[in-house]
Amino acid sequence: MPSRILIVDDSSLSRRVVRGILESEGHEVTEAADGMAALERFSLEKPDLVVLDMVMGGMDGFDVLQKLRQIDGQAKIIVATADIQRSTREMTEEGGSRGFVTKPIKKEELLSLVNSVLEERPA
Amino acid sequence: MSSSILIVDDSSMSRKIIRGILESAGHEVTEAADGMAAIERYSLEKPDLVVLDMVMGGMYGLEVLEKLYEIDEHARIIVATADIQNSTREMAEQAGSRGFLTKPIKKEELLSLVNSLLEGAK
Amino acid sequence: MTELNARQADALTELINIAFGLTAAKLSEISNHRVLLETPTLAIHPMDALARDLGLFVTGEVASVHQVFAGPFSGDAVLLLNYESAVKLSNLFVEEHLQSQRLDSSTGEILAEVGNLLLSACLGVFGNLLQARVTFSMPRLHLDSLEEFLTSIAIGSGESQNAVAITASFHIREQSVDGRIVVVLDAPSLEQLIQAVERWEGAQSSA
Repeated sequence: MPSRILIVDDSSLSRRVVRGILESEGHEVTEAADGMAALERFSLEKPDLVVLDMVMGGMDGFDVLQKLRQIDGQAKIIVATADIQRSTREMTEEGGSRGFVTKPIKKEELLSLVNSVLEERPA
Repeated sequence: MSSSILIVDDSSMSRKIIRGILESAGHEVTEAADGMAAIERYSLEKPDLVVLDMVMGGMYGLEVLEKLYEIDEHARIIVATADIQNSTREMAEQAGSRGFLTKPIKKEELLSLVNSLLEGAK
Repeated sequence: MTELNARQADALTELINIAFGLTAAKLSEISNHRVLLETPTLAIHPMDALARDLGLFVTGEVASVHQVFAGPFSGDAVLLLNYESAVKLSNLFVEEHLQSQRLDSSTGEILAEVGNLLLSACLGVFGNLLQARVTFSMPRLHLDSLEEFLTSIAIGSGESQNAVAITASFHIREQSVDGRIVVVLDAPSLEQLIQAVERWEGAQSSA
């Protein structure tokens, strides 16, 4: 089912790659290049899902994760990052993310995670 | 089942770490710090298995691998290296390595690979 | 002097980001500490500007682990730390009663090993993602002044005045370890690298 998805990443290449993958499945995509823009867009547009990078200048990914969940406790957020430390994965899970993919992103992995998270009932 | 294992690595720290893992499982360990020493020790001691680093001064690991197989076509050789490239793994496998581990070496991974190779044996 | 356009710069930064992700994970695994990753700063410095940039980062003696590499692009990959961070980094891997306040042969050994893991991870990611095969030498550990360090960097063509350095930082916050990874290439190698990065970027964007 096509949905509205917000991509948050300071790398324009990453945003382009993820956009390409999601649009190929018919999803509608918007973007934010940093934490502040992410919070604004999220509040205004109420996307069905957020794909969040963790390593960004300015607000760090954990802050963004926390603040998004403050805005909406049911927010569906998945993390897509180059930071493959196990502790990062654990911390994002504790912070309420619904899934974790590592860069470079594999199209099938991302799509199947997006689909399963979109299908989840509200927590 | 304990066996004799030869570690080949130019880093004494790596040798120490791998030795620790293998000895904790009851294996008997000898060491060589370069290709020439490895070939000598292998010929003299005929270890049951070899854990081989790839990047060393003098002979590169792949050469050592080939020479060990010339001495003994049934040699059991595992590569343990910091080189994570897929091309390196492929080259090692084509040259006959029976396993490829990247550093830092995980204890369970090394021990279970060693065990499965040794069991296939005697 | 090769300039990067925005797309190339972005792709190269992303590549380094991925290389750093693996690098940080390895460091975290062997030290049992969380590694704070910064967005890698892609800086391409000609060698004289490198001196200025590093001069802000290190004072006094510089500990460096070098791994010379070759392949479609070649140069010198360096893990760079000031003396204090070098000692602290080494101490992360030893029990308290064995810890040192100085760089000696045993802390040096640890540093060389850590440098090997990190630099191989970084170069390996480049090799894997850019479909290139990179070979690297044994790591060498040096402790010198910044000037001596800069002259010790090995550039294949010998034209170090045209070399460029790609730098990125990492931190282990709890232990105040601040380090840099510096990859030095000559101009032809940078050109090769950029072309390979463009191919990767193209493949990623159309996947």
